[in-house]
This record gives sequence, C-alpha cells and structure tokens, in this order.
Amino acid sequence: MISPKKALSSPETTTALAEQMIVSRSFWADARIRFFRNRMAVVSIFMLFCLVLFAIFGHALATWSYEEIDWSLLGKIKTEGGPSLSNGHYFGVDELGRDLYARVVQGSRTSLLVGFIAAILAVGLGATFGAIAGYYGGRIDQIIMGAYNITLSIPYIIFFVVWQAFFGRDLIQMILVMVIINWTAGLLIVRGQVKMLKNREFVDAARMLGMSDFKIITRHILPNMLWVIIIYMSITIPETIMYESLVSFLGVGIQEPNTSWGALISQGAGTMTFGTLWQLAFPAIFFVIAQVSLYYIGDGLRDALDPKER
Amino acid sequence: MTRKSILLSALLSTTLVAGAYAADLPAGTDLAADQTFTYRVLDEFSSFDPQVVEDVEGANVVRDLFEGLYNQDADGNLVPGVALSHTVSDDNMTYTFTLRDNAKWSDGKPVTAGDFVYAWQRAVAPELASPYAWYMELMSIENASAIIAGEKPITDLAVEAPDDHTFVVHLSQPLPYFAKMVTHGTTFPSPKWAIEAHGSEWTRPGNIVSNGAYVLTEHVPKERSVRERNTMYWDNEHTVLDKVVTLVIGDDAQALTRYRAGEVEKTDIPAGQYPALAEEFPEEAYALPRLCNYYFTFNMSDTGPEAFKDVRVRQALSMSIDRNVIVDQVLQGGQFPAYTFTPAATAGFEVPDVAYAGMTQADRDKIAKELLAEAGYGEGGEPLSFTYLYNTSDAHQQVAIVASQMWKQKLGAEVTLENQEWKVFLENRGAQNFEMARGAWCGDYNEASTFLDLLTSPSGYNDGKYSNARVDELMTTAKSSQDTQPLYTEVEQILADEMPVVPVYHYSTNIMLKDSVEGWPINNVEQNWYSKDLYKVAGE
Amino acid sequence: MLSYTLRRILAVIPTLLILIVICFYLMRLAPGGPFTSEKPLPDAVMKNVLERYGLDEPLHVQLWTYMKNILLHFDFGPSFAQKDRTVNDVISHGFPVTITYGFWSAVFVLLCGIPLGVIAALRHNSFWDYTMTGLAIFSQIFPNFVLAPLMVLLFTLWLGLLPGGGWNGGQWAYIVMPAIALGTSYMASVARLTRGSMLETLNSPFIRTARAKGLPERTIIWRHALKPALLPTIAYMSPVFVYMITGSVFIDVFFSTGGIGQDFIDGAYSRDYSMLLGLAILYSVLTFALNLAVDLIYAWIDPKVRAGL
Repeated sequence: MISPKKALSSPETTTALAEQMIVSRSFWADARIRFFRNRMAVVSIFMLFCLVLFAIFGHALATWSYEEIDWSLLGKIKTEGGPSLSNGHYFGVDELGRDLYARVVQGSRTSLLVGFIAAILAVGLGATFGAIAGYYGGRIDQIIMGAYNITLSIPYIIFFVVWQAFFGRDLIQMILVMVIINWTAGLLIVRGQVKMLKNREFVDAARMLGMSDFKIITRHILPNMLWVIIIYMSITIPETIMYESLVSFLGVGIQEPNTSWGALISQGAGTMTFGTLWQLAFPAIFFVIAQVSLYYIGDGLRDALDPKER
Repeated sequence: MTRKSILLSALLSTTLVAGAYAADLPAGTDLAADQTFTYRVLDEFSSFDPQVVEDVEGANVVRDLFEGLYNQDADGNLVPGVALSHTVSDDNMTYTFTLRDNAKWSDGKPVTAGDFVYAWQRAVAPELASPYAWYMELMSIENASAIIAGEKPITDLAVEAPDDHTFVVHLSQPLPYFAKMVTHGTTFPSPKWAIEAHGSEWTRPGNIVSNGAYVLTEHVPKERSVRERNTMYWDNEHTVLDKVVTLVIGDDAQALTRYRAGEVEKTDIPAGQYPALAEEFPEEAYALPRLCNYYFTFNMSDTGPEAFKDVRVRQALSMSIDRNVIVDQVLQGGQFPAYTFTPAATAGFEVPDVAYAGMTQADRDKIAKELLAEAGYGEGGEPLSFTYLYNTSDAHQQVAIVASQMWKQKLGAEVTLENQEWKVFLENRGAQNFEMARGAWCGDYNEASTFLDLLTSPSGYNDGKYSNARVDELMTTAKSSQDTQPLYTEVEQILADEMPVVPVYHYSTNIMLKDSVEGWPINNVEQNWYSKDLYKVAGE
Repeated sequence: MLSYTLRRILAVIPTLLILIVICFYLMRLAPGGPFTSEKPLPDAVMKNVLERYGLDEPLHVQLWTYMKNILLHFDFGPSFAQKDRTVNDVISHGFPVTITYGFWSAVFVLLCGIPLGVIAALRHNSFWDYTMTGLAIFSQIFPNFVLAPLMVLLFTLWLGLLPGGGWNGGQWAYIVMPAIALGTSYMASVARLTRGSMLETLNSPFIRTARAKGLPERTIIWRHALKPALLPTIAYMSPVFVYMITGSVFIDVFFSTGGIGQDFIDGAYSRDYSMLLGLAILYSVLTFALNLAVDLIYAWIDPKVRAGL
C-alpha cells in the first residue's frame, strides 16, 4: 500500500477531488440527459424495443407455425423454398420446409432472453470478482485468478455433458451453465482497471475520509470504469447469443423444434455455399440489428456515464 | 479328405490371365502422366496398424499398405491376395490356404504363413488389447474367445503354418462365410521384426514395413498422409497409381469447395446436396448402395413405456412413417426406403415380401389410425406421447423432425425430441434409458446375419431388448446352414409382424469422384476399394 | 518485481493441482468412456482394453499414476483415440501450429484494431468515427463460420490465390486465411475497447494538464495518452489469445491446419482422458503466463501499480 498522504498535495488532485464530489451528487441524472441527447443511441434503443415486440407478437403475422412442415415444398426447397408472399413464407422455409419467419420469431425469444440474461449475469459476476481481486490484491487476488485460470482451462464440452447428465436440460439450466463457463468474461479487464484506479489520488482521499471499501468501490471506482463494463457487456451479449447454439447443440439447451438465432444462423451458414442464402440472411439480419443496436447503446452509455464528459 | 472350394476353380482361370485383378486397363487407355490420387478423409485415422485400426478410412489405408489372404474385386467377389486358393475340410471346420511364393514385404523379406500366425495371435492377444479382437471371435477360430478372456496363452490359437506357404485355420463351428471374412484388415499379416524393433512407433513412415501395393512415406497427423508404390509388391508391375494422398478435411461443405478447386479428387457429398450436384456434375456424383440400415428402436424392456408393449401401437407408428418422403425429399441421396431390417444390397439375400411394403401410403396411414384406435390411444383414447432420443447431428435431427411431424399430424402423437452428445446417447441407449431411439447398423461382413443377429435375445447390440424365441432359434440354425434364405425370410416376416424396430431406410454412399479417376468399385456394397485397382486417365 | 514474478510462478502449482483433480473427476463423471462405441465391445475385450490403459484401477490410483508419470517422466500418457501416438506426440506436433497462426492472428488483430480505435477516438463523432464503427460492426457480424467459407470461395475457388486448407509446414499462404478468419471478430472488439479507452484517457486530468501546458497534440497522444489507453486492450487480449488457441476448433477443422484446438474437441467427444487433461494443463499454463505478462505490462506502464506489487 502506498501512503495516501503524499498524493494529496498536487493541484491535479484537487481538481480530481472536486470532480469526484460532483460525480457522486448528480451523476445519474446527468447521465440520463446526456444519453438521450445521443441520437444513434436513442434510435438503437427503439430498434431493440422493436425486436422485443417482434419476438413477443411476431407470431401473430405468421401463417404457419414454427414446427409445421410444408410438405408441398419439401424436397424442392432450393428452387421453391425462397421468400414468397403468395405461400405465406415471408422469409422462405428452412431445410425441412418449415416457415422461416415463424422460426425467426421463435428464435428471437430464445436468443434475446438467454443472450441478455446470461451475458449480464456473467459480466456482472466477472466484474464483481475482478473488482475484488484488483482492489484487495494479494491472496484474494491469487485465489480469484486461480479460479479464473481453472475455468478457462476446463474442457467445457465435458462440463456441459456432465451437467446435462446430472441436471437435465431446460432454459434455466442453460443460462446457469453459460454463466458458469463465462463468468470470467470481463474479469481481467475490470481487475486491471481497478488496480490502476485504486492508486489514484481521489481514492486515497476517500480512504483518508474513512469511507468503507464497499463505498469506495461503488462510489468512486465503479463510475470511472463503468464504460469498460458497458462496452464489454455490449460485446458479450452477441457472443453469448451465438454461444447458446453450441450449448444447445451439445444437448444442454433448447431442443428442436424450438430454435434460436444462433441455431438458425449456423444452419444457414452450413448450407450457404449451396444456394439457399435466405436461410442465413434472415436470421442474420435480426442478429445484426441486435448487435448494432447494442453497439450504439453501449457507446451512448459510455459517453453518458463518463464522469468527465460534461 | 478335403475338397476344393468353388472359389479355387474360379481362381485358377483368373490366375492364367496375368494380373487381371490389378488395375484393369482397357486397351488403348490414355493414362495421365501424373498418377497421384488425392482424396479427402473426415478425421485423423485411428491407426495404421492392421490389428489395431478401427475406423473405416483407416481400414482403407491399411488395405493399401497390407495385403491379406484374399482381396475383393470391383463387385465385392473374392480374388487372390497373398493366398492363391484354399481348401475346406469335410466338416467345414478346417481351412487350408495356399500362399503365393512371390509375395514380399517392403524390406524384401518373403511373406510367409508364419507372418499370418503372428498377426492372428497378435489380434487376440490381451496385451495388445485390440478392440477388434471381437472380429476374431466372430470368425469362430478355435480358442479365440478363451485367449481373449485370458484363459489360454495366445499360442493356443488354432492357426498353424506347416510350411512357409501353407496356412491352416481350425474353427470351433462351421461358418459358411468364413472365407469372406479374411478380406478384413484385422486378419492381415504383420511384420514381427519391425514391431519388435520399433514398438508402438512401428507404423511411422520410415519404420513401417508392409506387404501391400503401397508403403507409407509421409504422415502429418490431422493434415495429410502419403503412400507410395511398393516396388517389392508381387504385382507391382500392374499397379498404375504411383502415389495416394489423403487430406483431412473436417467440414463437408469445405471439402466440396476444395474438390471444386481441384485440391482433392474424391470427397463425400454433404447431406441433401446429391440432386443438385448430380445435375451439375452428372459424371462425377455417385450414390452407391451401402450395407447399412437406419431404424427406430422401441424400448421393449421393463423401463420402456407401456404403450410400446402393444404391437398395434408399434405397427401404427411404423405404418405412418412415409419412407418415400424421408428418402426422396429429405435425404435425397439415393437411399432406399426400408421395410425390412436387412438391406437389399446384402449378398445372397432376397428381400421377402412383407405385407406393408406393398401398400400405398394412404392405405398404411388408414391402417395406422385404426390400429392406434383399437389399442385405445390417439383420438378418443389416451393421448400417445413419448420421447425420441437421437444423437446430435444434422442428418439425424432432420429425420427426427420429419418423423415426429408425421406422427403428430397423422396420429396426433406428441413426440418430444431429445438430442444427446454421442457417448451420452450410447450409454443411455445401451442402458435402456430411453423410450424410442435412433438406431443404425453397418454390416461387418456381407451376409444377412450381420444384421439379423442384432435382434436376437443374446445380442449385445439389442438395445430395445426385443426377445422372440423363434427368431433366436432361426438365427442359430442359420449359422451352420447351407441354405439360409428361407430362415432369413421367416425372421423378417416375424419382425414385420411384431415390429420391434421401425426400419426407415437403407444407406447409400454419396461421393464425388473426378472423371479422370477410373476403376472405382462402384458395385462393391462394402465400398472396400484398393488404390492398386485405380488409374487416372489423361485429358478432360 | 522479480520476487513478485517468482511468487506468482509458485502460486501456479496449487492451481494446476486443483485443475488436474477437477478435470480428472469431471471427465469420469461424463457418461460414456473412451471405448464406448456404437458396436459395444464384448466384456472380455473391454476388460483387456481397460487393463492395457490402466483404466481398471480405482480412480485415485489412476490419478496418482498420472501425476507420477508427469513428474518423473514428463509423460502425459497415451492417446486413446489416436492409438499409435502419445499425448506428448500430439501436443508437440499440434501446439506449434496453433501458436503460429494464433500469433499471426493476434498481430493482425492488434495492427488493425488499435489504429482503428485510436483514429475513431481522435475524430470522435466525425465521419471517420462512423466509418470505423461501420467497419468494426461489419467484421463483427461475420462470425468465423460465415467468414471462412466466404474467404475460401473468394481466394481459393474464384481467384485461385490461396490454398483452401492444410498447413504444409507453416508456409505463409497457408496461414493467411486461418489467421484472418480467427481474428476478425476480435479485431472489432479491440477497436471498440481502444476507442473507448482512448476517449477516456483524452478526457482525463493529466492530458488536460498537458494540453494546458501547450504540448503539441502529437506528443500528447504518442507520449502520454496511448500507453495508459492501451491497458484495457492488453487486458482484453490476454484471455482472447487463450480463446484463440482453445477456441480455434472451427478454424482447425475448417482449414485442416492440424492444430490442437481440434484435439480439445475431439478429445472431449471421444473421452480421450489423458489427451484432454494434457491439453487442459497446457491451456492453464498458457493462461497463467499471459495473465502474468499482462500484470507485468500494467506495472511497467503505470508506476503506481508497480509500487503496489
């Protein structure tokens, strides 16, 4: 530990200290105003909202159910299975003649639900442990880093297989599994940031004032690295959405006829060189909308939450 | 007293036409200057050791590197390998093979009967612990089982070499198809001196000594292997291909792209792509019948659902599967709709007329509905619901989805699909921890019993625990019978009546093979091919 | 710093022990064994096979034998799936391949990602920023299993410039596509992180002080802003590099490189116990080494962190 006294003398410290005071006072209100001034971010929020609406109510527009096979198209999907308004398959059909529109709606539900919940939980957990490891250092740091190391090295397929054998399968199991395997997401980055920030003058000052560690982390360190967590989260959510298809593939997650963006995209990608591009394109478009929206929301939040940008 | 086998007379005539069984070049063939054949394999090989190899692709390489007693020709018939002919004793229990005297190992040593004795003993040796030791048991060689069980020393295996060119095998029971079984890699000779000198590394290029038409010259695991002409091979002058290269490509679509780019000359066709490719490359896309079946098995043990104990339910579920839709519209690779367990392509097997095979699908659907209603399920009765278990794979998933939709729409059955990772699936299926499960079987040898034995009570592969005394009895009789067709017909009839499994289709092999490669054994249902029989023609 | 490094290196030993024990028992809990197959082996044959590989012993004896062989002979056991080879064989052959294209992929990620991020941050909310954003999104929406087939179609089938797969001893033509396909989506993430971090740094008091002192902008960026701004990127890259090696399964399979990513997956599917354990240990050591490297870089860049070691 360095001595807090020597750091308190420079003029920079005074500025930083003053800034910190303001941060704790009107931080969230200011952030909200700043965020809604960002046009791209607002549009993205709207797009994401539309996706959620689509996932919830999209099936109302479908003429086919997501599991029903259109026997008249089976066997000639390459030639007649493309998107068409006349037969009610707006997005065409999948490899087995099932309505792609209805399947994308169904897949949106799974992916939005699983992607968001699992990613937020995983990054939240990782950030918490990262903060603890970075702030306290020493033995605690070593234990957390050991756990991190082990998690990264464990053969995850075996982990899924064992989990499935002992706990069975359903949506909650899948989210749990994904959080356990991905809790390391963001850990290292947060740990590094905290390690740096904890030696800054304003933290020393707070410590001098007798603030508790918890308060120092949440009030003073967190606002200064929230941008990292947010950007990391907006990267992790799309990754998690794709990761879900692997987990399901191994038998832990959702089962046919249920589907997800990840499953639809990998099925579509498998046949993309054979001339049924719509099978990849439609689920991919939805995925991309989600991803791009998250990107701008992430950046918008970053800018809004930056305590120095006013 | 011994009598000459039928095979021998056939062989005598072929041996007169020198080399007629090596690459069979029509007169005036314009051979390509570069005789290198490059083909795609899906995975790394399990081994190049003939007694250890387990996978099909590995076995294909082993067939090039080593030569057993007999080879197969383009139609799957036996032709001489190291053995020229054999005789069978009157009790059908002793086989005496006469070996050629000009067979040599790649290091110049002669191939002797002793090399076979060594290899066969090796195959059953508990120390080597070859997974394929079961194959030697299946061949009914006297004492094989006892040696595997560790009850007798390997020297007790009833094979002997009275002289360098005579190899004698004693069986524990007559086995009509014994001679057919010696084309399998497990029975190939192995070089004792090389194995003793290099231990487990004896199959590395440079260490390996082999007696086939090729020697292994390069092997980069998970990437490529190269085998080149073995100049010591007795029929080397009739071998045309100089070099055979395998490239490991794990992804079907990528393999096809590389085939299009000319990087490989043979690859597998990705599922469902046969019709399009056959149209684009009419001369290069093949759909060849294959000795494998695909079925759904009911769990008929105590752990199985009550509904499946009713034969009418099983019948109804089988009848309502439209096999033509699955074959023609889903798989689309020249597979065959199956109504019997044994594939029609099996040698000497005549497909019996089972009643439901001849009906129209509309009739079958109607009967299915009636049967289910009679059994008290479906509309008006108890709802029929069960879980179908399959292993994770796109192709199996497609069949599962289509079948479940057929059952749902025709019979109102609620089917839950459950996929599991391969080994988990095998464990659960083997432990009767399922309701209905996917099943498939590829013949170990080209004879109907390789399939039908599966449904006998003692079979270790009978996952549905179907048991019928008559079936058991018929299959036991067939083991030593000369005329097996009536027996097999009766078994298939019983299976059609009791429907312990739902035959869905019989496999086909879908491959792309460049126009310039000739001599591929398209009529060999086991797809046992030999590079020495292939050649490349010039011009395109 | 030296004593810190030494302490960290010693700390890896208990981690490895725990990892081995967890993996060892986890694998045995998984249904199915290395010799479970579609055609189940007869009991006598199975018994011989298990005996040969020592799998008939009680689990703790097997674990003890395994550890002993590693410590005494550096022997990680035989592979059950590739019967002619040992785990040492397979790893010593596959690891150089994976690390080679993983390295070039990381170079690609950093060389493209960091400049993209920096430029976007310097021209915040300008045309440049949006272009970079677009590029980053574009590369992120092509997951490697979409990008790789497209690249092969373009460079192999249509243009005939690059081979569609293989390794060939690691010639550059065989490295290009795997490295790019593997790195693209990470490149986008690096660009984003760098942009965010750069913005953060440029707004921080010490840069403002530097500006107030009238230092030229170029000096401010190169001398003062870039180093601290790269820290999150560096922290991000450490696990990514491990992912690149463990997660390169698709690339290994698709481009037939012969790397160990494929063994990690095949080993899991075929229950190749010793292969999986060997790889898990390798990954763990790698993760540890990279983490240590990151920590040392942090300490090197930020004197205060160094003081805290």
